[in-house]
Amino acid sequence: MSTTALAPALANKRVLICVGSGGVGKTTVAATLALRSAVEGRQSLVCTIDPAKRLANSLGLSALGNAETQVPASALAPLGVTPRAALYAMMLDMKQTWDDLITRVAPPEQRERILANRFYQSLSTALAGSQEYIAMEKVWELRRKGEYELVVLDTPPTAHALDFLDAPNRVLDFLDNEAAKWLLAPALKAGKLGLSLFNRSGYVLRALSKFTGTEMLQELSSFMLSLSGMNEGFRERARGVRSLLEDKTTGFVLVTSPHPERMDEAIHFNTLLKQHRMEVVALVVNRVHPLPTEAMWADAATLTPTRRAKMEETLRELQVLAEQDQKGIAQLQAACPGIPLIRVPRFGLDVHDITSLWQTGRYLLGDDTF
Amino acid sequence: MAGLLDKRLWVVSGKGGVGKSTVAAALALRSARAGRRTLVCEVNTQERISRFLEHPPAGPEVMLLEENLWAVDVRPQEAMREYGLMVLRFETLYKTVFENKLVRYFLRFVPSLQELVLLGKIMYHLQEKLPDGRWRFDTIVLDAPATGHAISFLSVPQVLVQTVPPGPMSREAQKMRDLLVDPSVTAAVLVALPEEMPVNEALELHAALKERVHLRTHAAVLNQAIPERFTEADLEALAGHPELHPVAQAHHDRAALTVLAGTKLERNLHTPVFTIPRLFLPAFGRDAIEQVMGHLETLVMGER
Repeated sequence: MSTTALAPALANKRVLICVGSGGVGKTTVAATLALRSAVEGRQSLVCTIDPAKRLANSLGLSALGNAETQVPASALAPLGVTPRAALYAMMLDMKQTWDDLITRVAPPEQRERILANRFYQSLSTALAGSQEYIAMEKVWELRRKGEYELVVLDTPPTAHALDFLDAPNRVLDFLDNEAAKWLLAPALKAGKLGLSLFNRSGYVLRALSKFTGTEMLQELSSFMLSLSGMNEGFRERARGVRSLLEDKTTGFVLVTSPHPERMDEAIHFNTLLKQHRMEVVALVVNRVHPLPTEAMWADAATLTPTRRAKMEETLRELQVLAEQDQKGIAQLQAACPGIPLIRVPRFGLDVHDITSLWQTGRYLLGDDTF
Repeated sequence: MAGLLDKRLWVVSGKGGVGKSTVAAALALRSARAGRRTLVCEVNTQERISRFLEHPPAGPEVMLLEENLWAVDVRPQEAMREYGLMVLRFETLYKTVFENKLVRYFLRFVPSLQELVLLGKIMYHLQEKLPDGRWRFDTIVLDAPATGHAISFLSVPQVLVQTVPPGPMSREAQKMRDLLVDPSVTAAVLVALPEEMPVNEALELHAALKERVHLRTHAAVLNQAIPERFTEADLEALAGHPELHPVAQAHHDRAALTVLAGTKLERNLHTPVFTIPRLFLPAFGRDAIEQVMGHLETLVMGER
């Protein structure tokens, strides 16, 4: 029995972050890793984002809202194994997590004003990377509490890998912009904002307000002003998140499907992670079509003519898909030298229950191979 | 049913990985073949559509791919520049304003400004006219972002109209909203796969587009469908073949899921569902797009 690079990671890492494009099975891989780690004796938590309903149900999760729930023993019963540590799961609610963060760092009298401000809404929902940031911020929080030996994070489907890695910097940049400080300085000193804002840099701002309307700028200033008191708290956390990503006990699991587009994205992600000095523990290629065996073809030839025709057509289709996958995986491995590549086959149906998670885990950890 | 050809803006969306770009490419190609001047828009992506059609990537400028078919990758920076020039009217003024670090900073955080300028560029092309007064493009196919992003992207005009004080941004937003909600101009095509999550996302998208954007779903496309092949009797006969039985069973299960997905889409969307069988081709290029196009004939041309 062989083992994969994920075995030592499950034994030693404190945080595993599953990254990749949407629709490649990241959530499944994240849940599987946490499950395996709990079974093997480390108290583990999987932090999911928008899981399939049946997957959530199979983990005993019913609602969003950031509550860490212990996966009940009854849910794990079908596995026929007794986990040596507890498994927890949660569904991350992004907006709620942002609001909690503000509540934690803002002075009470500013809280409502910030939560209602349109720029805050934009920062917490629309700013590229803000979802990614808040997911990591949550993990950092959990990691700091230290209740779990392993936290596995599923991440939002990222349009651009850079959004993810740059997220802490972007948030810091937002809070810490010299230009904005310079602009706001007089207002900050006076503790109020008037049109003084627009007397200072003359026509640039006038032109800008032509673009957005003056009220928009007023509102931004007011947001900056209310944040200025909590910058330090924010900054400390954003730095914490940044160093968590680079920590030796944090590892990334890059998840992809054998689809050419998805693999291009994975290669890009891997390059960026490397540049950012972050450790890619393994590259998981999910839903790979196994090549039909000689024995299958031989056996198909023994069937009645109609069945034989149906079966051979199906095997031919599988052959095409398997060859496509093989070609793609070879290119992927060549583009990511030195990164352990783990293949998980496409199972009969989508993976949504605990038994299929377990089956996925057997491939992830190398108990089963192609 | 009426064909898409009656509308001018075709919005294609669905869950990530369901083949939106494939469907958008096929729809655009069919529109061009029908003699309509067609522009296919991708939004800030690593362009796929021109590649599918075996042309070099278009980039941020509108580029002719082949007869009647143009492509563009709408990117924030260029769209912002075009919009800025439209508002400010002078290149030098634009440069002074937009190349100012401080301004760049502001613009990054102005809520929804980025979506507004991206959508604005698309809407601008929708209303562009040739010197003789005809539309520059008869049809615009928008390969929209995936579900969540598509909803926030397309809701921007509506949200801005409701929240932004009167001014240039809100005027632009109003114009865009009017085009998006006009059923004689705009139609949405939702793409799904015969699997649980993609179908659910299509339903979610349909509801959100209806309620938040007031944008009608014209039809759904069920991509990568698996046709029925193995009967119950076949499966029984294969019971003694431990390697082949799972293959047949998996095929049978996926075919059943396909039927289920089609029914679920029809019942919930109350629109026609067009099925594209899964293609088994060694490479995915123009041939594949042509095949997909064949399955979408009625969707584009209507019942005849």
